Amino acid sequence: MEEDIIDYALEYAKSTRNEYAEARAHNQLLERLLLRNGNLETYVSAVDSGFCVRIVADGAVGFASTNRWTKQEAKDIVNLALNYAKAAKRKEKLVFAEEKGVTTKWTVEQKKKVENVSPEEKTSALAEIDKALASCGVKVAARMSQCSTDLLSKYFVNSEGSRISSFAPKVGAYFYITVMEQGQTEQAYEQFGYSGGWEALDEWKITDKLIRNAEILRNIITKGKAVKPGTTDLICGPEVTGIAAHESCGHPMEADRILGHEMSQAGRSFIFNGGSFWIGTRIGADRVTVVDDPTIENSYGYYAYDDEGVRARPRYLYKNGVINEFLHNRETAAKLGTRSNGSSRSTNYDREAIVRMANTFVAPGDATEDELTEGVKYGIYMKSFTEWNIDDKRFNQRYVGREAYLIEDGELKYPLVRPVIETTTQKFWMSVDAVSKKVEFDAATCGKGDPQQGIPVFTGGPSIRLRGVYVK
Amino acid sequence: MTDILSRTEEIVKKASALGADEIIAKTTIGKYRQVRFSNNQVDTSVAWNDYTTDVALSWKKRLVATQIHDFKDLNRNIKKLFELAKVSKENPLFGGFAKGDFHYQTNKADEKLRDTENLTEYVFEAIDAAKKKAGSQINSGGILFTKFEDVYLVSSDGPVGIDRRSAIELSIRAFSQREASGHGVECSSTLKDFKPSRAGTKAGEIARLAKNPIAGEEGVYDVIFDPLIFGSMLAVWSSMVSAFNVMVQLSVFVDKLGQKVAPEVVTLKDNPASYSLASRIFDDEGAPTRENVFIDHGVLKTYLHNTSTAKIFKTETTGNAGIVAPTAWNTEMASGDISEDQLFREVDKGLYLTNTWYTRFQNYEKGDFSTIPRDGIFAIEKGEIKHSLKDLRLSDNALRLLNNITGISKERQHVHWWSEADPPSLSPYVLIKNVHITKSK
Repeated sequence: MEEDIIDYALEYAKSTRNEYAEARAHNQLLERLLLRNGNLETYVSAVDSGFCVRIVADGAVGFASTNRWTKQEAKDIVNLALNYAKAAKRKEKLVFAEEKGVTTKWTVEQKKKVENVSPEEKTSALAEIDKALASCGVKVAARMSQCSTDLLSKYFVNSEGSRISSFAPKVGAYFYITVMEQGQTEQAYEQFGYSGGWEALDEWKITDKLIRNAEILRNIITKGKAVKPGTTDLICGPEVTGIAAHESCGHPMEADRILGHEMSQAGRSFIFNGGSFWIGTRIGADRVTVVDDPTIENSYGYYAYDDEGVRARPRYLYKNGVINEFLHNRETAAKLGTRSNGSSRSTNYDREAIVRMANTFVAPGDATEDELTEGVKYGIYMKSFTEWNIDDKRFNQRYVGREAYLIEDGELKYPLVRPVIETTTQKFWMSVDAVSKKVEFDAATCGKGDPQQGIPVFTGGPSIRLRGVYVK
Repeated sequence: MTDILSRTEEIVKKASALGADEIIAKTTIGKYRQVRFSNNQVDTSVAWNDYTTDVALSWKKRLVATQIHDFKDLNRNIKKLFELAKVSKENPLFGGFAKGDFHYQTNKADEKLRDTENLTEYVFEAIDAAKKKAGSQINSGGILFTKFEDVYLVSSDGPVGIDRRSAIELSIRAFSQREASGHGVECSSTLKDFKPSRAGTKAGEIARLAKNPIAGEEGVYDVIFDPLIFGSMLAVWSSMVSAFNVMVQLSVFVDKLGQKVAPEVVTLKDNPASYSLASRIFDDEGAPTRENVFIDHGVLKTYLHNTSTAKIFKTETTGNAGIVAPTAWNTEMASGDISEDQLFREVDKGLYLTNTWYTRFQNYEKGDFSTIPRDGIFAIEKGEIKHSLKDLRLSDNALRLLNNITGISKERQHVHWWSEADPPSLSPYVLIKNVHITKSK
């Protein structure tokens, strides 16, 4: 990375008339392997490298990026960004919440360096997983698997004196399997993500998880029974708890959404100034605390400083059932009279940083898993999910169970075929009466922004028990 | 221009000299501009300048790919890629790239979109149009996006081409109340045919009608789909005719070639025509693009192919490469024979849905999915919009919906919106019978 060009871009920007300027460079060494039914479709190896400038002038933002590393190009994009900001003609001037300049470097350590893992080793690892799956005794009719490594170096400077370098390797994988039995299919998707080195593969235990998934899908086809619709108790496993935390807590707590900046794409929020919900309003039971924490080591959503140079820290979004703290960047923080909590992230040099989650999870409670189940006379255990969605105000959501069982007298009975909970955010979180001690995480790619910026996150939490919810 | 083509060709020659069997290099010089706005003001204006060469090469049925941004290290990058191919794993199903000395159609990109920098006036034109329809209190947000690309492709198998691709699109969502909104889009490959006020007017009109929504009820309804939401459905079906998705069973069309999958009135095609946002004269292998009717009067005629998938299915490429997975460019539904108004008159009691988002599947092979209508949702009684509804979800099956189409309007609209109605499409108003609607309990 040619840091002198970034420094030049900033110095040139500072010589123009503006309120704020920053320059950010990304250098990514990417490798991606895609296997379809055991065949290596392609092995992609590339370097993606470029830089951007963001300028606030006349109370508006201009952003420009390039992948041509020349000083002339740096000058050109500064001029573009400056002209764009001035052309906005905003009536309401944007300002950023105060931050002190920071000079630092941060890195994510690798136990087994991705750079030292050969393409053959990477390919073999994926091929062996596929082979085990293909010969596991379950008819896995279609298998698609992808593995990626991403060595990301960044360099950030701004007109307030910040100068931050970072190196954050990430390893990711996803698998899509189709099991066929008795002429019927069931499908499952699994994603894995890690900040660190190739040791990720040892920690994930992918083969065991996928074979278990295949067996579960077969069980659903051969032994699964339909759900009897009605009001019942529901235990959500960590995967379901995690997606609910992400969708119906993390997203509606994004301050840019609350302020309407995402109104035409990702939407708005049921939380808004002057509405029924705001900071201090109860949204869930006392036992419900949802945290977004970018500082969890080796998590998929890990970072030490965000893409505005603000130090990362845990954010308590819902605290003991009460709306507590929004996710902010410097712009939204200024508008709502607070400080940024380091939630500004960008996927690449050509994307503007926007308000994002990192690792969003329900905080642990005091129950054991057994205690949750023992307390249910008749109910449903939804361990994992398949289809899901939520409306754009983040209030009406639906989760369809993938692995799910009927509970009778505190014991799991037989698998259920795709039970559905379709409920509101408030109903979901207010119905929680018990939370287990054990938190688990799943990797996910969160979508937001236009163009889309799919960003690595963890979702997670413990098992939680909901009383009296409608399941069909 | 020829200099860039020469540089692209140089990559192919260098890889060929190293011993690669087949090589494709595609250089894209892209100029992209965007204005994002909310609360009736411009939030951010964005400019992206990109210079990228995508290279794919094969050696003994091993396929590898890279992107080159910097020609300074060209020799090293090509050598590294070839070394990667040597240690990669053979794919017995790799069928090579398109072969031939093709003659392409003339591209019709709009040169004006190369230099258009002052885009905010289009944004305000759309905002003002929404205000005219729904009053000055209306709150609008959205994006305006322009693209101007020069694409140079050289293949060791013969194809050599230069394409110029332009597009401009505007998406505006207008709120007349907190829970009453309308969404309009305007998409064109040329500035001449781009009318931002049309999108603003549509968004404003729906937002006006959507005021004071009441909670909707679960049930089975006859539903009129606006072109925008139907564009999201077209995106579902067109992704499912990609032969790659068929092979991994992410499609309701597995083993259905030649079968009736829709009523007689349904004809769907992929057509990257010059008027489309996705207009192109060749695909990523350099095969000429063309119109591909994939559902002809209800019968599934073909999947969309690149050279490899075509060989597996014992047919020819349809000009839809993706190097790995074929993809639809621009989906078009053949227009029907009745007007939009007549279509509404066919509904005694039903719904009119204008937009949706968050479409997710339980099982792509079976087709079970749900999606969440947003913006105007309306109750129709005796052919007329009666009142506005909210908080409903469409929970049905992709194949069943296709089969339940009973009416298609003459009017069609180019639609594209974010990742929800992507790829772009030419979409009509459509009447689908017996659609399952659910809600939160």
